[in-house]
Amino acid sequence: MSGLNTSLSIGVQSLEASEAALNATSNNIANANTPGYTREVAQFSENQENLIGGVVSGGGVSLDSIQSVRDQLLNLQIQQQNSLQGSADTQSSILQQIQNNFSSTGSDIGSALSAFSSSLAQLSANPSNGAVRQSVLSAGQNLANSFNNTAGGLMTAQSGADSQVTQTVAQINSITAKIAQLNAQLSPSVMAQQNGGTVQDQRDELVQQLSQLVGVSISQSSDGEVITTANGSPLVMGSHSFQMQTTKGTNGLQQVLDSNGNNITDAIQGGQLGGAIQTRDQIIPGFMNSLDTLASQFATAFNAAQAAGFDSSGNPGQAFFSIPSGTTGAAAGIKVALTSGSQIAVSSDGTAGSNGNVANLSAALTNALPSGLSASGAYSTLVYDVGNAASNANAQSSAVSQSLLQLTNQQGAVSGVNIDEETTNLIRYQTSYEAAARIVSTIEALTTATINMVS
Amino acid sequence: MRVNSNLIPNILADLQHSQAAVNTALEEVSTGKRVTQPSDDPGASAAMVQNGIDAANNDQYTQNITTLQTMAQAASSALSSVVSSLTQAVGLGTEGANGTNSASNLQALASQVQGILNSVVSQANTYVNGTYLFGGTVTGTVPYAADPASPNGYTYSGNNNANSVAIGDHLNIQVSLPGSQVFSNPGNDVIGALSGLVTALKSGNSASIATATASVTSAVNYMGQQEGFYSNVQSQLNAQGTALQQDKVTLTTQATSLVGVDLATAATDLTQAETANSAALAAAAKVLPVSLLNYLSPPQ
Repeated sequence: MSGLNTSLSIGVQSLEASEAALNATSNNIANANTPGYTREVAQFSENQENLIGGVVSGGGVSLDSIQSVRDQLLNLQIQQQNSLQGSADTQSSILQQIQNNFSSTGSDIGSALSAFSSSLAQLSANPSNGAVRQSVLSAGQNLANSFNNTAGGLMTAQSGADSQVTQTVAQINSITAKIAQLNAQLSPSVMAQQNGGTVQDQRDELVQQLSQLVGVSISQSSDGEVITTANGSPLVMGSHSFQMQTTKGTNGLQQVLDSNGNNITDAIQGGQLGGAIQTRDQIIPGFMNSLDTLASQFATAFNAAQAAGFDSSGNPGQAFFSIPSGTTGAAAGIKVALTSGSQIAVSSDGTAGSNGNVANLSAALTNALPSGLSASGAYSTLVYDVGNAASNANAQSSAVSQSLLQLTNQQGAVSGVNIDEETTNLIRYQTSYEAAARIVSTIEALTTATINMVS
Repeated sequence: MRVNSNLIPNILADLQHSQAAVNTALEEVSTGKRVTQPSDDPGASAAMVQNGIDAANNDQYTQNITTLQTMAQAASSALSSVVSSLTQAVGLGTEGANGTNSASNLQALASQVQGILNSVVSQANTYVNGTYLFGGTVTGTVPYAADPASPNGYTYSGNNNANSVAIGDHLNIQVSLPGSQVFSNPGNDVIGALSGLVTALKSGNSASIATATASVTSAVNYMGQQEGFYSNVQSQLNAQGTALQQDKVTLTTQATSLVGVDLATAATDLTQAETANSAALAAAAKVLPVSLLNYLSPPQ
């Protein structure tokens, strides 16, 4: 037969259960704004009923666990989107920097080509005018400067991306070390019992941060979580982390090595590191190559036109532009070789008043270069390529941030703390705590009454 | 189903979108441009490179035409003055050839024709904008200088070449004739004809005066043809000037449609963006602070 003591112990269990639930609620409210926190729910179950003398009576409540509510599949999707976003944002910001050099600001190559072209047209009408010759020379200098500045802008962007590689690798190493530490606390037995709890929240948050830095692939093994880069180089295995390194390569750019010293630079994809490497090693060199080709072919064609004429002293025209030998570095190295307007080979017959070679000089601007495009056509194509790359990176970045927002919303719906819900729970558990306390005090009063009855 | 109660990331994203829209609209209205950097419209930015070059060249071709018109007009008026001088010389020659003139009369006629010759030579040495118009491509040296050793009394220091000047893309026009063609052409030597007439008048031989006068007459006709060249040049320059003006309009229209904004549309966009931004802010302000706690009475 059940007695008052049974009721008392049920009341005490109830108090404890309510306390635990209030504890979870207060922890939820406290961490409502903590990144990576997943809400906790107190899991109760009924106790085994008592069967005494053929009468079944309830056994009270027991607290099974405080469960964190999380959705691993969503986490995985968010990691992938984070990697895409890290890559797109990095590319977008570097390309934004690059495209400023190609905007029509008055000091860009397009404006300089235009000024050079019209100065040649002016020279056609005033072949022996010293001031006009000088203005052609200075328009040529501006054009050479624009090439130098644009090449400089590309190189600055490239070295910016390069230092970003080093910094990102350092961040990745620091995060993987922390993840390994947390993994050590998340042994499989712990995972089975408590669902990871706050340690797992912290680790998942770090993994999200890591996936922003570099694309990763995650699997579970008997040792715990295994994190590798997309190409399979290990970063974390259970409680061990593997440090990546950087070293300066033969091309002067930082190469990424895995913990065994293998060069994995080209294999890295996704995340800020992947974005920086792709921009540094593929996108910028592509632009640089087009720019160098243009500078080299244009200077060669213009020098050939210059050689076909005579300067104002009747001597054959010397090279107008000097460029480094070979295409590489042509845009950065192009300079005006002439020192005076009188050296421009305007004349076709050796007299100072002839303008017969100006048409050849102008034709160097409008005729197709060996690339198949005229100077302005080749530059237009480059502007299009730069603009298109920047525009695509921006579009990619905003598209990913949209889908990331949706995924985060879904995650928030599953794991986020809802203050209204917690407030309701607070009232619920307050009421049940008060009721349980009332049971204890009632039993106490009844016990007193029973004792008094005896005495 | 549970919904995400954390509105902040959504609200921030919405606010950023509407703020970005306001920024874009404001920039469009204040700059009048839809495209300020290549990524705004890569195709338009690329097309603007050629448009900028074409527009700058168009301006310069127009300036070239103005310069050339000055020179062509100067040359043309020099030639018409030469024609009237030559006509005058023909009259004097005809008078000298009628056989009724005394020796002193013929001398006087000779010195009048010499004066005409001097004036024609000075027209042949016309100097405009820092260049001698009739020196061929030798524009810095006086084309005709007196030279007693020369058959016609003058040495030509110019050459037989002529400049063609750019007045359009791939359009170069020859705007001058060398003096060797206009004034001292071996087939039609204008200066030679005049100095021949001076010599003939001085000699007093009516027959040779008549022959010399006939050469001056044919020089008048020849000079008329040369004038025709310059009037042809002037009309070509005018026609090209008009064409350039039309091109300029086309280029400006193209630039506007490539990178410009329609101000009315831009202003409407700005108003819409502002309204949307205010609405987003107002909605955020209304929604953010609300929770169940607002409606619960405080604990007793």
